[in-house]
Amino acid sequence: MAKYAYHPGNVAHSSAPEVATTMESLAHTLNITLVPLNGATSCGAGIVRQANRRLQLTLNARTFAMAEALGLDIMTPCAATAGNLNEDLATLKSDQILLKEINDTLAKTCGLTFTGDVSVHHLLHVIVDEIGIDVLEKKIVNPIDFTVAGYYGPNMQQEGMCGGDDVFDPNYLEQVISALGGTPIVWESRTQSVGVPGLFSEESTVMKQAAEALSEAKAEGAELIVSACNLSHAVLDIYQGKAGRNTGLATNIPVIHLCEMLSFALGCHNDRLAMLRTRIAVIGD
Amino acid sequence: MSIVSVYIEDGCITCDACEETLPEVFEVTDDTCFIKPDSRVDGGYDRNESQSALKQDFISQFKDDLLDAADACPVDVIIIVEGGSTPTLVEETPVVEEESEEVVAEPVEIAGDDLGELLSVGDRSLAILFGSQSGNSEGVAAKIAKQAANYGLEGTVHDMDGFDLSSLSSMKRVLIVCSTWGEGEMPDNAEELWNAAQKGAAGMLSGVHFSVCALGDSSYEFYCESGKDWDEQFEKLGATRLIDRVDCDVDYESPASEWAVNSLAAMAAVDGTGVFHENMVEAMMAHAAGDVSGAEGEDGFTVPNILSESIPAEISIFRYDPESASTGADTWVCSLPGHMSMLEVLRMLKSTHDGSLSFRDGSTNDPTTAICVNGRLILPGTVRIDSVAPMRDGTLRLRIDPLPGFDVVRDLVVDHWSLERKRESSKPWMVAATREGASTPQGTIGIMDGNTASALHSVTDFCSAALLHASSDAAPYANGYLGPSVLSSIWARRNDPRSSQGSVASMDATLSSSNGIKAETDFTSIRRQNPSAAIIADALLDAKTHVLEGDGYNGRHGKHVWWYTWTLKSSGKVNDTVLYRQVLGPIGLLGNLTSGVTARMVTGFTRTGGDMFYDMLALVAPPAGVGKMPRQFNSSVDNHHEVVAIFNELDGRF
Repeated sequence: MAKYAYHPGNVAHSSAPEVATTMESLAHTLNITLVPLNGATSCGAGIVRQANRRLQLTLNARTFAMAEALGLDIMTPCAATAGNLNEDLATLKSDQILLKEINDTLAKTCGLTFTGDVSVHHLLHVIVDEIGIDVLEKKIVNPIDFTVAGYYGPNMQQEGMCGGDDVFDPNYLEQVISALGGTPIVWESRTQSVGVPGLFSEESTVMKQAAEALSEAKAEGAELIVSACNLSHAVLDIYQGKAGRNTGLATNIPVIHLCEMLSFALGCHNDRLAMLRTRIAVIGD
Repeated sequence: MSIVSVYIEDGCITCDACEETLPEVFEVTDDTCFIKPDSRVDGGYDRNESQSALKQDFISQFKDDLLDAADACPVDVIIIVEGGSTPTLVEETPVVEEESEEVVAEPVEIAGDDLGELLSVGDRSLAILFGSQSGNSEGVAAKIAKQAANYGLEGTVHDMDGFDLSSLSSMKRVLIVCSTWGEGEMPDNAEELWNAAQKGAAGMLSGVHFSVCALGDSSYEFYCESGKDWDEQFEKLGATRLIDRVDCDVDYESPASEWAVNSLAAMAAVDGTGVFHENMVEAMMAHAAGDVSGAEGEDGFTVPNILSESIPAEISIFRYDPESASTGADTWVCSLPGHMSMLEVLRMLKSTHDGSLSFRDGSTNDPTTAICVNGRLILPGTVRIDSVAPMRDGTLRLRIDPLPGFDVVRDLVVDHWSLERKRESSKPWMVAATREGASTPQGTIGIMDGNTASALHSVTDFCSAALLHASSDAAPYANGYLGPSVLSSIWARRNDPRSSQGSVASMDATLSSSNGIKAETDFTSIRRQNPSAAIIADALLDAKTHVLEGDGYNGRHGKHVWWYTWTLKSSGKVNDTVLYRQVLGPIGLLGNLTSGVTARMVTGFTRTGGDMFYDMLALVAPPAGVGKMPRQFNSSVDNHHEVVAIFNELDGRF
């Protein structure tokens, strides 16, 4: 049985409660044990480090130390969280002097120590690399029989951070979509940033980035976007109307989280799947 | 085979390499290299063109060094003459008779498809006979002997003069290099052997595989006649021709080299029993190509060219025709060697399929050639097709696009002028820095400390400015944004201790401008390109921190970073309510309300049936944006006091 220390990420804490509910049912169905890291802070989303790089490193080192104390690797459903945690993890592991200094701070403030013996995984890589596509296929109850655009985002598509998948030309999401009964499309924007860290300050640029991704998915025939990044989902979904109006591009398309799609296909939350079908067939976004 | 003699051909560049390797034998003079008298049987002191034998004790003691010296010669003018198992020596040497049991190796037949076995099992000797009047044929023969080792052959050069024709009958591989003298006459040193060959019995060379390289001058009536005679006569004597004779004119080097490559590969495909394995010729060529152009010896640093099997590929290339303003993609399905570079693939497609295909060509690492392949930004000359993208379902599917973020001129050719304009606008540029240095006999040398210099270089050392610019996912959408290429250069110069205060102030202003570092929405797209880009992304992050601190965390950007970090200290989690209120303010919130953002946010509709209201998120809507900042509703993480303690320890500003 797979067992992980669970870090839900920023968005699941705040504006996306659907992540928490679907992750719970998904993990139960796939026999994944999630041990909540209730003391874990936000990963910093690459924003805290703009103010103080060492501060973000130390906060994340605290999270790593908590998982290490449990003897578990970390799993998260958010690509931004996976990317940020992995970046900081790599920094700490590659600089022993820095690690010692940060451990000194952790010992002084929290009584914790981090040795480096922990890994961070995204839900997608756990599903493909550990659970296995064949196992997933056997558990499908409700085929997701749509044409689906899988969105990875840029954060977890870095060397050493995306399991056995290719950094620039990934296909794990496409494998999962196919396994769930859907038809995946290949589109260029799937690993490109939609500019979430600049949402508040560079909204005009971010709206163009988001609109380009959304309109490309639609142009390629997608009926639905499934996002492996909960943070990017916030822009792709919540801001899609504004992005369309600002750019004149067709951007209306339902966007759901990866954990939602998996949960629906595995037979959980059938009412929500019915609602998704309505959104796709009737409403369109 | 043992070494008999060594001599120096014309063309020595007096580099001293041989003398450094074996001073006992070689002595480099002002214009060539001499074989020392102490090492020679005849006691002469010259290049030893007469091929006087080396003394036996020198050969015994320095055999390996002689071979090393010949290998190390950059112009290949050191010719080692090898003989039969008993070298002919003028000097009498005591002979000790020993009773020995002759061991005759059993011929081993090779399966025919095992390259390793073919290369290593059984007799691998190759006889190279030269008939030469002016020395050209001899030089060609010597070079072939040297190359033979790359094909797993033991090449031995034989002067036709004095060569015993009957000894050929026991040989399996023979190459003949012969020039023509006068009106179709044999060279002097070939006359005797030629006379013997004409009297030879038919079939006496039935086990011999051969090929002939004929040297001549097409201005004469009997062009390459001697070579033609040898070719015909060997066939009459029963030998098997593996490669057709080549007739070389006065510019003989190129055709002779080409013939040598083909002939050696064919000879190498003859196994120890004398069976020719035609199916192994290509494999032999590939084997030799890897050895010749790759790791050439013992330096341990030369990376070999690793050849790869052909792989089925489906190549789709973006096309744009400016005359008709039409775009599209052309797709070719083909099979290509995996070791071809992407640039070679483009060249091949252009030369064999579509001459109108346009791309920037150049040297292997030409920075202007950058393109995008399956989302990866590359210099096409530096990336092999078998490593540019993963193969799936037995096929390599490549989607080749022009570099993003630039105007397309035609097909894959983009216009770099926009980047140059941005560089030009980032004043001050092209301003000579004030040089601090130490005066030395070589001129003034900078005295910047090593760490500072390395740090500055690491920020600007990138294979291609255009490629770095294109790595930003924001660059194509942010009009005026200077981009990571220009900004990293500015940041490096801003931190150069030689920059004046005025220049630093000007560069700080550029960095903090609306087109400066704040316009980059996400460093990850830059960071993920490669390790060099990750260093640059870190430097740009430093630049952003510097700018935000300079602005006192004011403006939307500063407020976003400040209040995001502040909410983290307050609860360990991000509080959207505080962020929206503090960063966007009442007007921004009102904009979100009218644009539908708030509606989509607070309702459960886009959550596919999830909770309608969560953690009092609805407070991001007015009246939350009016009046006092709402208190936080997020619950805190466990042991929140530890988070506060970390903040207090590291950054008391929050």
